[in-house]
Amino acid sequence: MEEQRPKVIIIDDEKGLRIGTQRLLQSENFDVDTAENGMTGIEMATGFEYDLAIIDLKMPDIDGISVLKEIKKAHPNTICFIATAYASYDTAIEATKLGAFTYIPKPFTPEELLRNLNAGYERRLLTLESERLKKEREERLLELAFEKSRLNTIVNSLADGVFVVNRNGELVLFNPAAIKYIELNEIILGEKILGILPQKISELLAKILDNPDFENKTLSAEVELKPDRELVVEIKCSPVPHPDGSLAGVVTVIRNITEMKKVEYVKSQFVSMVAHELKTPMAAVLGFLNIILNPELKTTPEQQTDYLNRSRNRLQGLVEMVNDLLDISRMEMKTKQRELKELNIGEIVKGTVDFLELEWKKKGITVNSKYEENLPVFKADNNEITRLFTNIIGNAIKYNKDNGSIDVEVFTNKNYIVTKISDTGIGMRPEDKARLFSEFFRVKNEYTRNISGTGLGLSIVKRIAESYSGKIEVDSEYTKGSTFTIYLPFTK
Amino acid sequence: MTDTTNKPKKVLLVDDDYDLLEQNKMLLESKGYAVVTADSVDSAWKVFKEEKPDAAVLDLIMEEHDSGFILAHRIKRDAHGKTIPVFLLTSATMVTGMKFGITTGEEKEWINCDAWFNKPINIDELSTKLEECFETRKM
Repeated sequence: MEEQRPKVIIIDDEKGLRIGTQRLLQSENFDVDTAENGMTGIEMATGFEYDLAIIDLKMPDIDGISVLKEIKKAHPNTICFIATAYASYDTAIEATKLGAFTYIPKPFTPEELLRNLNAGYERRLLTLESERLKKEREERLLELAFEKSRLNTIVNSLADGVFVVNRNGELVLFNPAAIKYIELNEIILGEKILGILPQKISELLAKILDNPDFENKTLSAEVELKPDRELVVEIKCSPVPHPDGSLAGVVTVIRNITEMKKVEYVKSQFVSMVAHELKTPMAAVLGFLNIILNPELKTTPEQQTDYLNRSRNRLQGLVEMVNDLLDISRMEMKTKQRELKELNIGEIVKGTVDFLELEWKKKGITVNSKYEENLPVFKADNNEITRLFTNIIGNAIKYNKDNGSIDVEVFTNKNYIVTKISDTGIGMRPEDKARLFSEFFRVKNEYTRNISGTGLGLSIVKRIAESYSGKIEVDSEYTKGSTFTIYLPFTK
Repeated sequence: MTDTTNKPKKVLLVDDDYDLLEQNKMLLESKGYAVVTADSVDSAWKVFKEEKPDAAVLDLIMEEHDSGFILAHRIKRDAHGKTIPVFLLTSATMVTGMKFGITTGEEKEWINCDAWFNKPINIDELSTKLEECFETRKM
């Protein structure tokens, strides 16, 4: 700005005056343009913003006042001077009213002109600077407002509830989620809210607010806002310090941890179920041994053999259960290394039927099987798929009647390789069918009394099938038999 | 011990584990009790109504986690049932560390049984407690 030369335009039809003034100003380090009539002047001074304009009042084509108006319209900050010999007080007033800086009577002395121009130029610089500052301030305010609204938007969009109280316990900020969690319909900024908050939250807040030597430590608690684990939240209260280190207030964050709690609950349910399932056979074995060893009971050798056999069965069952549990745990944790190979489901089913031959022959069961030719390959882990069919066919044998039959069929249907295994066994009631795939569920009735099992087999089957995007369907009639249909999707 | 000159006391024993049912039946019989058994909550209720036992010994966890509790409550609400001792058997405490107690009024109200025993049962302890309960009820 400092080194910039002021740009001046002289609009005057009088050539001598134009050139004289131009020379004078150039020697005073002005940058000077000239226009020989009003129209050219308007064109030049509206097309470019001059710092200063000296306009002759009387020109043949258009009068100076009109030129002044046009220039001011285009560039309000151009400082304009009206110069004329035919000056009257009225025109002077009018010119200043229209925005001329001042009026210069002709003829003028160089000193007079320069004094006016310098004063005008100074005014222009001041005006420009103040406009710049004003604009800057406006921009900053805008930025600030934007920043604030952005922050508000962010806080309001948080899924976690957030609210802030000052050191008097008065609410200074909150977001909609906070209102939702603490279920306060009418909550007002500036209101003391400790008394209306859920007790546990108030306690945490009070702990920080009531302690003048607060440490910069976050306090947290889990609060069941709705009973029976319907809404459980984690509350975190953190002190907000002033720059000088004193306590300004407390920010509280409320996070919904209901889902996590539910998972935790299911997990602990599962653990207690496992514990029970493990403990019962152990108690049975221990009970048998106590009976055999108790001289008062005077058990016969036949009874003792029976009890020992039954103990062995229970222990065998226990080992199987632990193996099943380990399998489930590996599947859950996905630590099981899968070896994906192109498998022929028909061959695996046939292999499983052959493998279990001793079992079904022992019960006099007939197996009828039908395998579609040229079955598409299924990419999966051989051990897992074999396990799936061993559990299903094993059940078809275990829960079958003596001299019953099993129908095995493998075929394709749309995008699935379908395996259908039907038995003529004991079947199940609809209420049992509904719970069939739950861990540790075993159908209990007079038929199943003597059939051992872990209650985990079908749960494993379901997990395996679903892990390959497959599904399993059961159709059953109590005392008549069951049909398990396994769908495994293949890619064409 | 039961008085042999009198009719033996009848105990309803309920457990869905057949091995444990058989063992406990044998143990109770060795102490001179007459034992009637059931393997589910529903069949137990039927046997209870028919046999009107002098005591009930119930497994805590059968079809559902709280089957034994529910059965105990049902028996305790029955006109005959509220006069007899009801014991619960559990395998939960040892493994889960869950604590059962019937010392406070609230616990007694909730659990609603006269005693509980860990599985496998110690028949001497159980029969002593049974006799104690019979004695108190006589008075």
